[in-house]
Amino acid sequence: MQGGSTGIGYGLKYQARCISDVKADTDHTSFLTGTLSLKEENEVHLLRLSDGGTELICEGLFSHPNEIWDLASCPFDQRIFSTVFCSGETYGAAVWQIPELYGQLSSPQLESIASLDGHTSKLRCVLWWPTGRHDKLVSIDEHNLFLWSLDTSKKTAQVQSQESAGMRHYLTGGAWDPHDFQMVSLTCDSSVQLWDLRTMKKTDSIDRAHVRNVDYDMKKRYMLVSMINDQETTGTYCLLVEVTAEDDSGIHIWDLRKLKSPVADLPGHSHWTWTVKCNPTYEDLILSAGTDSAVNLWLASPSIHDHSVQDSSLTSQNRTEPLLNSYNDYEDSVYGLAWSSREPWIFASLSYDGRVVVESIKHHLTR
Amino acid sequence: MEVEGALPMDDKAKRMRDLLSSFYSPDQSIPGSPPHNTVSRFATLDTINTTSFDADQYMNLLVQKSSLEGLLQKHVEMAAEIKNLDTDLQMLVYENYNKFISATDTIKKMKNNIVGMETNMEQLLEKITSVQSRSDGVNTSLFEKREHIEKLHRTRNLLRKVQFIYDLPTRLQKCIKSEAYADAVKFYTGATPIFKAYGDSSFLDCKRASEEAVSVIIKNLQVENLKVKLFEKLKQFLVDLDLEYNELTNVPVNVDESINPKSASTTTHEASVHEFAEAIRAYKAIFLHSEPQLCNLGQDLVKKHFEAIHQQIMKHVRSADLLAMLRIIWTDVLLMDEVLPEASLPDFALQHARVAIKDYTCSTFSRLLMNISDTLKKYQFTVKEEMEEEYPLRAALEASKKSVIQGSMDALMDFRLLLDENPELLLKLRDLTIDWVHEGFQDFFRKLDGYFLLLSGKKITAFQDVNLIEEMPGEKISAGLVLVLAQLTLYIEQTAIPRITEELASLSAGGGVRGLATDPAEICRIFRSSGESFLHLYIKMRTQKISVLLKKRFAAPNWVKHKEPREVHMFVDLLRQELDEIRSEVKQILPEGLTHKHRRNNSNGSTTSSRSNPLRDDRLLTRSNTQKARSQLLESHLAKLFKQKMEIFTKVEHTQESVVTTIVKLSLKSFQEFVRLQTFNRSGFQQIQLDIHFLRTTLKDITEDEAAVDFLLDEVIVSSAERCLDPNPLEPPVMDRLVQAKLAKTSEQGGDEKSK
Repeated sequence: MQGGSTGIGYGLKYQARCISDVKADTDHTSFLTGTLSLKEENEVHLLRLSDGGTELICEGLFSHPNEIWDLASCPFDQRIFSTVFCSGETYGAAVWQIPELYGQLSSPQLESIASLDGHTSKLRCVLWWPTGRHDKLVSIDEHNLFLWSLDTSKKTAQVQSQESAGMRHYLTGGAWDPHDFQMVSLTCDSSVQLWDLRTMKKTDSIDRAHVRNVDYDMKKRYMLVSMINDQETTGTYCLLVEVTAEDDSGIHIWDLRKLKSPVADLPGHSHWTWTVKCNPTYEDLILSAGTDSAVNLWLASPSIHDHSVQDSSLTSQNRTEPLLNSYNDYEDSVYGLAWSSREPWIFASLSYDGRVVVESIKHHLTR
Repeated sequence: MEVEGALPMDDKAKRMRDLLSSFYSPDQSIPGSPPHNTVSRFATLDTINTTSFDADQYMNLLVQKSSLEGLLQKHVEMAAEIKNLDTDLQMLVYENYNKFISATDTIKKMKNNIVGMETNMEQLLEKITSVQSRSDGVNTSLFEKREHIEKLHRTRNLLRKVQFIYDLPTRLQKCIKSEAYADAVKFYTGATPIFKAYGDSSFLDCKRASEEAVSVIIKNLQVENLKVKLFEKLKQFLVDLDLEYNELTNVPVNVDESINPKSASTTTHEASVHEFAEAIRAYKAIFLHSEPQLCNLGQDLVKKHFEAIHQQIMKHVRSADLLAMLRIIWTDVLLMDEVLPEASLPDFALQHARVAIKDYTCSTFSRLLMNISDTLKKYQFTVKEEMEEEYPLRAALEASKKSVIQGSMDALMDFRLLLDENPELLLKLRDLTIDWVHEGFQDFFRKLDGYFLLLSGKKITAFQDVNLIEEMPGEKISAGLVLVLAQLTLYIEQTAIPRITEELASLSAGGGVRGLATDPAEICRIFRSSGESFLHLYIKMRTQKISVLLKKRFAAPNWVKHKEPREVHMFVDLLRQELDEIRSEVKQILPEGLTHKHRRNNSNGSTTSSRSNPLRDDRLLTRSNTQKARSQLLESHLAKLFKQKMEIFTKVEHTQESVVTTIVKLSLKSFQEFVRLQTFNRSGFQQIQLDIHFLRTTLKDITEDEAAVDFLLDEVIVSSAERCLDPNPLEPPVMDRLVQAKLAKTSEQGGDEKSK
């Protein structure tokens, strides 16, 4: 609470977990976020950062039939996005289109483009083809990986292929490799698995317990960042070299060519590290959010960190501290995190209590 | 018509056919083999081309089988065939005849050619004979001259030998001058046969002069021999001396018990060194220019001394023994120096002493490190086998504490001894030694820290000590040992380092020229940081285990279809077991901290005032329409969230309470996060509520920061209510009853073990 709130805030009505950058919107910096309320009617908010960057404006407010556990924006059409939702026991995923607004602010009905049916266990997330107009989607449930072919004009989605990761693996999420479009990485209880979409086969895996989330670095070809929740059993990965988080340290950065051990470790959070996001433009900038109600900004250059943090205190002085800043001004666990791809020094964070905070890291970049 | 005409020609035709077929036909082996009866029996029109062809039969067959038209046609065909065959035959004969004619021509030509050859051969023979006669002529004409030349050559050789004999005396003189005796002897022995033959006549003068020179050479050689022999003897002497010395170095171990052997051996040693010195002195007096060799000899002596010392150091000699050895060396060196100042033995010895002392400090510290690691390892390995010891962790901690401080103190004592009882040799090294000791301690603590980190499973590339790495136990370190390490580093930081620094200061105060090389603050900092990291590691390891427990708990049932809670879930027992284990470990190792149990009361005073999120309160209020009492409770807890948020993840201290509280807090936070990922029905929610209610009573005794723990427990309930489709809490009396039942059950089951 002492961090001094530099960010721009926006309150959602209910609790929420997911926020996504609207990549296809090239004119504005906008974010999509969806609420997670068991009993009330859930909403999807389209937020836009005002031109001066001083205000978050609600561009649209749409009701969504179920509570939203995952939300991803389409990379080529700003009006299309996907959600993973839940009602009671059943899970589902769908692709939606925001209706044309014609000036009036609230047009509450979302147009459904396609429903990704066919999953037999709990859906985890939906991934879009990383860049450009492409019809491929990947959806992940607890045990299976589905590859969809989506036709937005005909409003249909068809399963192109599907494969089971095995009943023993409880998948928790994944990320699409932005460099090699045939590869996705999936997180599960005990490892990060790299899958080839052409053959629908697992090509490699990193065995680390408690991986929560992964993300790829956009700049460095082979970096995969993954995170494992700090203290405990869950982890988060961000694929840079690939960042994973695990037991003895919150965030791990992997080189995809050398999967034996991470090239760098970051301490993560004081409780679980929930998610990591690599900056889309600036190398080595990693953002992590945790259940200790904080968002940390890291500068991880793997070359510096190849030896342990504790070791060689002599050299520690001339080493740069990897933690650039810690944003503490949250009142609950932070689950949602998104960099803006249009203005890569801006990120939005979403804490469980439904508060969106947009921060700028511009002054960190100059250093 | 032709058929008829064929009969008289039969014989001729047959011969022709045979001839032709013998020439062309491939199936020569067959002719006539098929018996006639078979032919007649199986005769067909195809047999015309076989050897067993019977024209009559064929004709008959043809007439029988064919119509008139067919016969006529056959006739035409056959006539044409016969004509063809005739033409072919003609061609054949012609060709063969041609070949024969050309062969005859060739033979004729060959005959003509051979006639000319004979005359050619005769000419060749003539020419060869003439060549031979000419070469004979040349040979005879040159023969005279060649003999002449050979004669001249012999004369020249002889003259050269004579010249050599005449030159021999001067040459020998030259050799003597340049001390090339080997060459001189070679020359002389070469000339000896000549002297023997003609010495009495023509070469008399030469012989005499040479003999004189050779006698000089012989004399010289004898002296040289003597020198070498003496020198070898000296060397031998040195070796003997050294052997004696080696015996001597083994003796000092007993120095304390009996003085006699020491003095005896010392005196013998001294005597032999004296002897050696005298011998060198004599040698030097007798032979000039022998210093370099002697210097080498003296240096060898010193080197051998130090080699012996090095071996002793490897065997962990004590400083008193080291001193004794150094003293002996120094007296030897002084003795030698008197005799042989050119060798500058004192300097030489000093150099080696420097190395030796450095070795000594290094080995002392590495031994210290070994001892400590042994102590720790002993615990690591015995912990599984013999748990009967009541407080294994405490014992390990005490033992390692002792080995650190005692080991360091012993080492210091040794160094002090080394510095105090300074023989002259060490006096010059004093400052250096002090520096080394400082450095040694600094290095030692660094390494110790590195070793600890390694032991705790952190990967450290910079840690070089291969020995220790090899000895790393392959299995994972137990959490208890991490705790021991945490406390041990704290002890080193707070007690051991200040004490050692003090001692070091007093050590260098005696004659310290340089300032403290050690930077205790720096070392303390290192240990403090690793102490903290060990504590965190311990907490991490423990919370991880609990987290797995929680994960299993939440993965198993279907929370949306949960049955009504009948009792407190058994995972709570596991949780308590885990916590009990942690507490027993913590109790053994960490000190009790000051209790802050009243914090909660303090914060209770201001709960109502803090409401920073009206939104959430609104939501709670709507809910409270139905369950007013419950939601008010929630509200107050929520208020506390904002009041105390910062206190959830506080800094960990090295106290029992702090560690346990931290672990509990982290576990509860995980609990909450797991709850948030589920969706509950009413019964599921009630089950969580019941479990938490039970935990509340249990955790109360354990933890220090009661307010935070309480708050977190409430948070779990709030979260589960939020994630519940129908949040209808259990009535408090029902909960109490169930909790009581559970308590009774547990005390029944583990009556003796749970009695606190």
